Amino acid sequence: MKIIESSRIKEKAYIEKLENGLTVIIIPKENTNKKYIIWGTHFGSIDNRFIMPKTQEEVFIPDGVAHFLEHKMFEQKNGTNSLDTLMALGIDANAYTTNDHTAYLFECTNNFYEGLDELMDYVQNPYFTDENVEKEKGIIGQEIKMYDDDPGWQLYMNAMDCMYKENPIKIDIAGSVESISEITPDVLYKCYNTFYHPSNMVMVVCGDFKPEDLLEEIKKRLIPKESQSEIKRIYPEVEKTINKPYKEVEMEVSTPIFAIGFKDIESLKENRSEIVRKHIAIEILLNLLIGKSSDLYKELYESGELLEEPSLDYEFSDEYSHILISGQSKNPKKIQEKLENKIEELKKGLIQEDFERIKKKVYGDYVIEYNSVGDIARMFLADKMKQINSFDYIEEYDTVTKEYTEEVLKNVFKKENIILSVVKSKVTK
Amino acid sequence: MNCQTTEIKKGIKFHFIDTKNFKTNLYAIFLATPLKRETVTIDALLTAILRRGCKEMPSQEIISKKLEEMYGASFDCGIEKSGDNHVIKFYLEALSEEFLPQKEELTKKCIEILFNIVFNPLIENESFKEEYILGEKENLKQIIEGKIDNKGKYALDRCIEEMFKNEPYGLYKYGYVEDIDKITGKDLYRRYKELIETCKIDIFCSGTVEKEKMITLIEENEIMQNLKERTANYKVNNEKTEAKKSEKENVIEDHMQVNQGKLVLGLNIAIANNDARFATSVYNAILGGGANSKLFQNVREKESLAYTAGSNYNRQKNCIFIRCGIEINNYEKALNTTKKQLEDMKQGNFTDKDIENAKNLIIESVKSITAEQDTEITYYYGQELAEEKTTIQEYEEKIRAITKEQVVEIANNASINTIYFLRD
Repeated sequence: MKIIESSRIKEKAYIEKLENGLTVIIIPKENTNKKYIIWGTHFGSIDNRFIMPKTQEEVFIPDGVAHFLEHKMFEQKNGTNSLDTLMALGIDANAYTTNDHTAYLFECTNNFYEGLDELMDYVQNPYFTDENVEKEKGIIGQEIKMYDDDPGWQLYMNAMDCMYKENPIKIDIAGSVESISEITPDVLYKCYNTFYHPSNMVMVVCGDFKPEDLLEEIKKRLIPKESQSEIKRIYPEVEKTINKPYKEVEMEVSTPIFAIGFKDIESLKENRSEIVRKHIAIEILLNLLIGKSSDLYKELYESGELLEEPSLDYEFSDEYSHILISGQSKNPKKIQEKLENKIEELKKGLIQEDFERIKKKVYGDYVIEYNSVGDIARMFLADKMKQINSFDYIEEYDTVTKEYTEEVLKNVFKKENIILSVVKSKVTK
Repeated sequence: MNCQTTEIKKGIKFHFIDTKNFKTNLYAIFLATPLKRETVTIDALLTAILRRGCKEMPSQEIISKKLEEMYGASFDCGIEKSGDNHVIKFYLEALSEEFLPQKEELTKKCIEILFNIVFNPLIENESFKEEYILGEKENLKQIIEGKIDNKGKYALDRCIEEMFKNEPYGLYKYGYVEDIDKITGKDLYRRYKELIETCKIDIFCSGTVEKEKMITLIEENEIMQNLKERTANYKVNNEKTEAKKSEKENVIEDHMQVNQGKLVLGLNIAIANNDARFATSVYNAILGGGANSKLFQNVREKESLAYTAGSNYNRQKNCIFIRCGIEINNYEKALNTTKKQLEDMKQGNFTDKDIENAKNLIIESVKSITAEQDTEITYYYGQELAEEKTTIQEYEEKIRAITKEQVVEIANNASINTIYFLRD
């Protein structure tokens, strides 16, 4: 197995690409009784159009299939449900779907190998029938309605709508009640057979393990599969401009919530370590702009325009890339205006002392990610889906200079790429 | 793994959790005081004002810069209800010194920062800084009004409010908008002094620091030396003090602009014997604890009525809350299905396998407590407030020993107090 390590935080990861194409990453943690495993496929809500490697058939699927498939994987041919089986072992099991991947996971202190039996069995053995697919539509319909009432989720979806015209990141991960009504066992099997091939999957395990022994246990449980050539995914062309600068909706919230977005159109597909450096620089910039110790945050908080520090995110893949600053304010437009001014001010040059201090903070933020086996495993999986080695965030940290960060500021925080999404309050009695 | 407790002075304890699981050390100070309508709002406001700055570090900006210099140490504070206590919590998390790029002493700084923020506030003319008071009053209003934003949480809070009407536990932890304006700076300072002199104070440290070093740091700290001994004023709640039977079902319906209805049922448990809470935990796990539970299986999987369906046991108040997110038109159906599960529990319509699964689930979650620093601290603090000590080992043994008869007994002593429904 290939070993990568970070001496600074005293962690190692063992990586192996198996013959069938599956990538296994094991991060041993000696001092914990908790074990965490996550098995992900590079299939998310944005993968809605692709060519099946075997038949060369082009498939265009309804919105929400990746997520629907995630729900249905637990159902077994013998009538049992794997979630129940795992829970009965005292194992906390779950699954989730994101824009670019779907993941099946469990965590436990006991019965790890019994859990591994079940996990590897159900992920490798789909069982979809007309009846069980129909039944799920009611449950997912309620999940969709739960998100319909979630102002934060609506805010995010509208921000995506502002930034992108055609990009599938605009699609709600769960789809809509209408789109999921079109889902059939046939669609699910097509997607399963395409995307749940080991060569399109990554397994990450974190806990007190001997990596070689664990790898053998994993291999034993793999079902042989014919090799598969690369899946051709079809996405719309990367858009160079935003869709619209502003969108608002009304919902029953006490104070409006807002998301200010910066669409990042600079593509870094080729250079992975550059992506990490850029990510670190953006984290530093966001903190300098409107983080807890910034002048702007102080001003906005003291004037009552911000209730607490906004959340700062940078989301990216090969198909999309954007920054989101979101929070709660009576006057979101004013926040945007002040933020724009602050950006112009920072573009004249960052203050060395502030830069060094925030850099230290960002270092701490990365190290804290290694506090829990779950966080570590999820991070390695999500990064691997983007071809990134998670340790690079710790290792590349030193190479991010003030000058480099200033350059990123100029390239990414452009006035013409700003959008604002707002959920206004509408209080009914 | 364990938690060692040392009394620093009467009413002030230090709890030390020795763990190598983390990259960080977590320090916390908890202040507990009885929940009261007269003080609930002022205490929430005080917490927010303390956060703004202290004598040594008079603004948030200064505090934040100091923490950022310490490799992103983070300070946080919050307010919780724990049984009939209002608990004000202050946390400081910092990297363990072995993971710093350069050697640096952080522990002493952390203790000093925390003590300064909590016990050495910025006082001007027998009051807090006027600007901070005004700002935090406005913020607190927004926070209280913001309780409608998360509909699931709101429905639960409303059910609790109705179930504990005119009782301390029914109060909202952030208090009430109508109380805010009349609070003066002098009131705040008077209450602050009273609180600090009478509340129960618990200091926690979890991580790789040495215990003796921590005790020395605390004892030699000037601010700590100036704190008075006290007979700590707080409430002890446990299943013995909170055994209750509900005589009638209180049905409440609220209307809001929602797409999904939120059904919440509040149940009382009326058994006061010593180990009842372990049997109640098992009862709750079978009823609504996870994917195998009766509620999940019937309300969600069989009838496809909900995405979320489950229940939680609130130990301090000895009650269970059932929560389902449902199609509004399915209210009757979901309620009947839920009641049918309660009835089945009473009749003992569950298998040995169900009991086994429930026990595994509980034991697993108890064993996982050590996997998160704040969860472990919260576990031991809960025991501190309930005046009992159960190690994780003992907890497991107690759960293992629960019989079907005990679970059925709990079921027959569980009564619906409140049925709450949030709909359009």
